Amino acid sequence: MKLHALAAFVGLALVSGLAHADKLDDIRKAGVLRVAAFDANPPFGFVDEKTHKIIGLDVDYALELGKKLGVKVELVPTNPANRVPLLTSGKVDVVFANFTITEERAKVIDFSIPYFASGQQFLAKKGTLKSADQLKDWRIGADKGTTMETTLREKYPTAKVISYDDTPFALTALRNGNVQAITQDGAKLVPLLAALPDKEKYEIPPFAISEELEGAGIPKGEARLTATINDWLRELEKNGTAQKIYDKWFGPQSKSPLPRLFKIGDAHIRDK
Amino acid sequence: MLGLAAAGESPGDGEDGMNFQIIVDNLPYLLWGAFPEGPLGGAALTLVLSVVSSVAAGALGLLLGIALALATGNVHRLLVLVLGFFRAIPVLMLIFWTYFLLPVALGIDVPGLLSVACALSLIGGAYLAHAVYAGIAGIRRAQWDAGLALGLSRVQVLRYIILPQSLRMMLPSFINQWVSLIKDSSLAYIVGVPELSFVAAQVNSRLMIYPAEIFLFVGAIYFVICSALDVLASLVSRRLA
Repeated sequence: MKLHALAAFVGLALVSGLAHADKLDDIRKAGVLRVAAFDANPPFGFVDEKTHKIIGLDVDYALELGKKLGVKVELVPTNPANRVPLLTSGKVDVVFANFTITEERAKVIDFSIPYFASGQQFLAKKGTLKSADQLKDWRIGADKGTTMETTLREKYPTAKVISYDDTPFALTALRNGNVQAITQDGAKLVPLLAALPDKEKYEIPPFAISEELEGAGIPKGEARLTATINDWLRELEKNGTAQKIYDKWFGPQSKSPLPRLFKIGDAHIRDK
Repeated sequence: MLGLAAAGESPGDGEDGMNFQIIVDNLPYLLWGAFPEGPLGGAALTLVLSVVSSVAAGALGLLLGIALALATGNVHRLLVLVLGFFRAIPVLMLIFWTYFLLPVALGIDVPGLLSVACALSLIGGAYLAHAVYAGIAGIRRAQWDAGLALGLSRVQVLRYIILPQSLRMMLPSFINQWVSLIKDSSLAYIVGVPELSFVAAQVNSRLMIYPAEIFLFVGAIYFVICSALDVLASLVSRRLA
């Protein structure tokens, strides 16, 4: 019964998708690009203390795209789990939210080429986590609705994966000893570690269990919009804007310096 | 500020004991969000959302409760069924459905704030309808008969004899429902409505290491709002008595 209802919804979604006019034209006509971005995920998308506006690496990409299309950008705050539903229900036009490209997600939405990449890593008490092998009998905290959660369950089915609503809760669980490690994009763990008052007690062990390539999420079947975004992303790399955005958040002068091992157009993260 | 800064405590020193300076730093955002540059949020939005939904839930509850008391046969059964539906589904589900599934299923785009207000009003209204119905049923049959014998219509009996007595008895049920509604407004986070709990999560994610301080403060605000309602209600009921 439930499955039938779901199938009917998905069917309707597909039909309405086909019946719609071209998304790119819709955006230009409306003069507004509706973008889902994280509001609680520094440095990708978070609320600025002073201006109370959402800022971050993903937001910079969204604003650049708005500039390119000549339209205003309207940011819709999202959590990890709402990214796909926001696109399929037509609430937003694009998702810029540290969105890992997966086959599973690509069944219901489309992705641009990746503009960011990092590996799934761990944060644990110093000296405790020495190899990925140990994970199979550890208690590990992850963020709900992320690929971190699913990858961990798939690769280490015997590990106890505890899903938290957001990163601060997972971090608190780690600091209180409820979990032995938490897992995240390496690019998120570095600033996280830097923010800890007792950071000398923790470390990010130097191994990753997966490569996360992150792209813009686009409604299914919008070929023109996807092509436009892909061309624009390559252009950002060529004219140096991509590097500038990266340096703003991860450059040597930033709070969490991280070498840039992936450029737009690359197929994989380069070895150091 | 608050003596904490004077004592040399700065954000980041939070290892021993709590650091409430971060609440002071983020107080405007927690209380009214990005307003006035951006939309209203925080505790102020929780208050607005609660007042609007409480009034709507109260009106709906009163209307449906009276309908339940007056209706007979199939109409009564249908009402019980509809009310049963809204009492049986979690608030979170109803918010999620109206926000994400209505646009897909019927092409109706419901903004987040509206979907939350509707869900809270409908579900709160369904609960209150039963309270109102019970309140009306609690008045003895003889009073109806007496009213009708005086030549009043059924509506007049209800308006002048039954409701004035039963509403006073229902007040505690209304307060209960409203208090629960205020707290349920925190479920708006699922669709990104920036009420108190949602902005608290945003601040929490930026600071990362002060969840205890932030959510203690949030709990205190809910306590103040709900207690204020309680005090207000006892003042009102004293005047009514």
